[in-house]
Amino acid sequence: MSSGSMVIKRKPGVAPQALYFLVPAIILVGFVLIFPIIFAFFLSTFKWPLVETENRQFIFVDNYINIFKDKEFWHALYLQIGFILIAIPIELVIGFSVALLFNRSFPFATLIRSLLLLPVFVLPVLSGLTWRLMLQPEYGPLNYLISKLGFKQLTWLADPKLAYTAIIIQDIWRMWPFMFMIIYAGLTTIPKDLIEAAKLDGARFRDRVFKIIIPLLKPTIATALLLRIIDALRIFSEVFIMTEGGPGNATTLLSIYIYRQAFRYFNMGYSSAMAIVLMLISLIIALAIVSKNFEVE
Amino acid sequence: MKKITKYLIMFAAIAILLIELFPIIIIFLNGFKRDIDIWSGNPFQFKFTLKSYKKIFEKSDFLIGLKNSLIVGLANTVISILAGSMASYGISRYKFKSRKFLAYSFLISRMIPQISLAVPLYMLFRSMGLTDTVIALILAYTSFNIPYVVWLLLPFFNSIPIEFEEAALVDGCSRKQIFWKIFFPLAAPGIIVASIFVFITSWNEFIYALVLTGIRSKTAPIVISAFLGQFAPEWGQISAAGTFVLIPIFVFTLALQKYLIKGLMAGGIKG
Amino acid sequence: MRKFSVLITLLIATFLIATTINVLVWDDAHTEAVKSLIKVFEKETGIKVNFEMLPSRSVLEKTAIGVSSQKTDYDLVAIDEPFIPQFSDLLLPYDEWPEGSKYKKPSLKVVLPEAFRAAEWKGVIRGLPINGNVYVWMARKDLIEKYQDEFKKEYGYDLGFPDTFDQLIDMAKFFTKKGIYGFGPFTIKSEGATCEAIFMFESFGTSVLELKDGKYKVVLDKEKAVKAIEFYKELLKYSPPGATAYGHSERIAAFNQGKIFTMFQWPAIIPSHENPDESLVAGKILYGPPPAGPEKRVAIRGCWILAIPKASKNKKAAAEFAYWWASKEMGKKLVKAGMTPVREDLLLDPELRSEKPWFVAIFQSMKYAVARPRFEKYPEVSDVIQRYWISAVTGQITPEEAIDKMVEEIKNVLRKYGY
Repeated sequence: MSSGSMVIKRKPGVAPQALYFLVPAIILVGFVLIFPIIFAFFLSTFKWPLVETENRQFIFVDNYINIFKDKEFWHALYLQIGFILIAIPIELVIGFSVALLFNRSFPFATLIRSLLLLPVFVLPVLSGLTWRLMLQPEYGPLNYLISKLGFKQLTWLADPKLAYTAIIIQDIWRMWPFMFMIIYAGLTTIPKDLIEAAKLDGARFRDRVFKIIIPLLKPTIATALLLRIIDALRIFSEVFIMTEGGPGNATTLLSIYIYRQAFRYFNMGYSSAMAIVLMLISLIIALAIVSKNFEVE
Repeated sequence: MKKITKYLIMFAAIAILLIELFPIIIIFLNGFKRDIDIWSGNPFQFKFTLKSYKKIFEKSDFLIGLKNSLIVGLANTVISILAGSMASYGISRYKFKSRKFLAYSFLISRMIPQISLAVPLYMLFRSMGLTDTVIALILAYTSFNIPYVVWLLLPFFNSIPIEFEEAALVDGCSRKQIFWKIFFPLAAPGIIVASIFVFITSWNEFIYALVLTGIRSKTAPIVISAFLGQFAPEWGQISAAGTFVLIPIFVFTLALQKYLIKGLMAGGIKG
Repeated sequence: MRKFSVLITLLIATFLIATTINVLVWDDAHTEAVKSLIKVFEKETGIKVNFEMLPSRSVLEKTAIGVSSQKTDYDLVAIDEPFIPQFSDLLLPYDEWPEGSKYKKPSLKVVLPEAFRAAEWKGVIRGLPINGNVYVWMARKDLIEKYQDEFKKEYGYDLGFPDTFDQLIDMAKFFTKKGIYGFGPFTIKSEGATCEAIFMFESFGTSVLELKDGKYKVVLDKEKAVKAIEFYKELLKYSPPGATAYGHSERIAAFNQGKIFTMFQWPAIIPSHENPDESLVAGKILYGPPPAGPEKRVAIRGCWILAIPKASKNKKAAAEFAYWWASKEMGKKLVKAGMTPVREDLLLDPELRSEKPWFVAIFQSMKYAVARPRFEKYPEVSDVIQRYWISAVTGQITPEEAIDKMVEEIKNVLRKYGY
């Protein structure tokens, strides 16, 4: 009865049996992605307007230098990191709390759990569109409720700060059930008797949570955070349909800026370079999370 | 005493559910409203109509989109879960030099924005003559779903004690048998969660679908985005279509959740 | 010997297999109607058509990815007019389009000549405009009738369809006092805002960008531009709450709810104002060209252009399809599905006039049509204009500051691309 990684073979090199398990994934992912990833790196060293072929030229690291000098890039990065630092911890806390609450059998539990996931299932575009509708003054259901409660109606999407808040709220609403689901699945792997024994020993609820459950769930939570952060760094449709990055640049997250450079200005080289930078940032965050909570070793 | 607690929890759960589902309820209701009512303030006062639902089915490629999404979603989920869980097992249980590197390289494929990979993917599949095919999409999706499965399952796999497999080895089972007959079922919670999210990701994916498909292999998100219109969305229709495509996902999830029974692990471990 | 017979078989097969063309267009009721009628075309010409419809933003993306100077996935693409400069080198000039065998190639007499200008770049027409999308102005007929006398007493002239900007302000002010709002602006970040900005600038007598001897210059007159912004800010005072974040959905809804007296609209959207399931004011709307600004009367134009990539191997078939689509008979059928015609004979057709009273307005507006700045890198310029226009009219920065920044950043864009 132990947690943490259990390792069998200690021979260096890859045992032939390991290959049986690893090869299908390696082939599938590698085949599809090797060319595109290399091509993306390759593109990032070029000036590559998508439509005019004659203007393409190799410029080595110029794209990266320009990124460094680009105020809009830094602003977009700042917005994106802020988005992650605010939205994701809140999603985690809500998801964890609800998972604890649901961690027992009660009538209709399965149905309720499945329904709770609907926000995650909804088409991202439709989610953003609905929030845009709800936040409309005069007509939006949310503003309608707010006004019925006596508060003043706000034009959410016209104000830079409110618009940014709105996209964060949208993400929290949409993705906390995702955190909930993963943590809940993790909770089901904790042996019931462990908790029972702790209860008999007189451990209070708070201790049970912080001293037993959370440590046991650390890898699961870390994975949920990791996957959520990686996806949040690339969030696009929901935000785009709500604000198109506006008002001004108030909600132009890095992912939106990359899209704009790629498919509105058609600067494929510059856009690829930013994508590579985003990838490196993701990688650093991933390494940070994994090394503290996880032993892949 | 216990029963009351159960019902209390249920009511709390329903309360949370209702608050959380308010926007979904709006979408659901909008599918049955005329556009004039969607923009009229009180979301619960309206004249019921089935016009939007009728219109979405009249749209020429709606059913094709659904069909393709189902095929791609299911095929993709099966392949990704199989290949991904195997790879996750390999990484979890075998120590080899390039282990960390392999794990992270899987992850990288999910770190680059899809927009940036879309164009070279298109070039790749065009050179193979696979544009506008369901196969291209299935393959493209496994490229980011397999890493997801690998990493999602790692903590679940790592938490299964080694004693099971050692006992089975002693009993003369081969590694392959151990994986499929013992390990895979034990990791059910993780596998179920992974399946649900892989299916959703495939179902809702837009960019690769846009670039790699044409009239034959169009998927549901592409068809539904058409309701966004050139200027303003067709609110009734997009809500109806959006609601409708939630049904397969919901059914899929509900079916899998039945296996997410608490205590499955507890019993297994003690044994 | 073997190789030879294979070759012969292939040659025969190529002749026997019908030509297939790939068409990429936007997705709405108009194109759905075209799709439903394609079988007719296929039967009459033996040309098979793969008709792909996508949301308009995606059409642009897929065109950019799928069409190059050597290879093209599509034989006929729909291009939104601001992007014609960018794609122009890849497109076959209209003069070189083959004559149609079954359907006639529309000439400048049949399709409004101002519409053809939408497809023009550097003096060459690059495609066939397929819809007559140009600013049309709307005003509430019923409100005009109801408040005739009151208005005349207060302002001294007849309440009617706003003919000048001064009248527009008077009427907007009047109606806002009555609890209906006078005006519906466009203020969210998108192409619509650029259109409003250019509309105002041009009405006050200034353009943004001009191409002279192969060089682009920013020609925005600060004084006039500031006046334009101030005027729009004034109009915003007479707009409904929430008007600082008004996009298409919001404007359409507000007008349909009866809350707005007058505003511009794209013809493609007008059917929704006249649909009783969507609009409380269906049948109560007057249409005409936009009111005249202090310097001139203008209407922003935004047509879809059908274009044939130079790299297409089926140019004749593609052209045939385009002519069929643009023919009068097809036009009559498509109008029922919501198409906005660009042919003079359809716009002025007396049969259609009662059903579609705005068609005449389109014809009139086209005479005053202006385009947004024509530039290969249009999107970047458009984004600059949008951003500062919206900040200025919503009061976040002063008009002077907005114009200064706008000019400066547009100059940066020009510099970036070597102008």
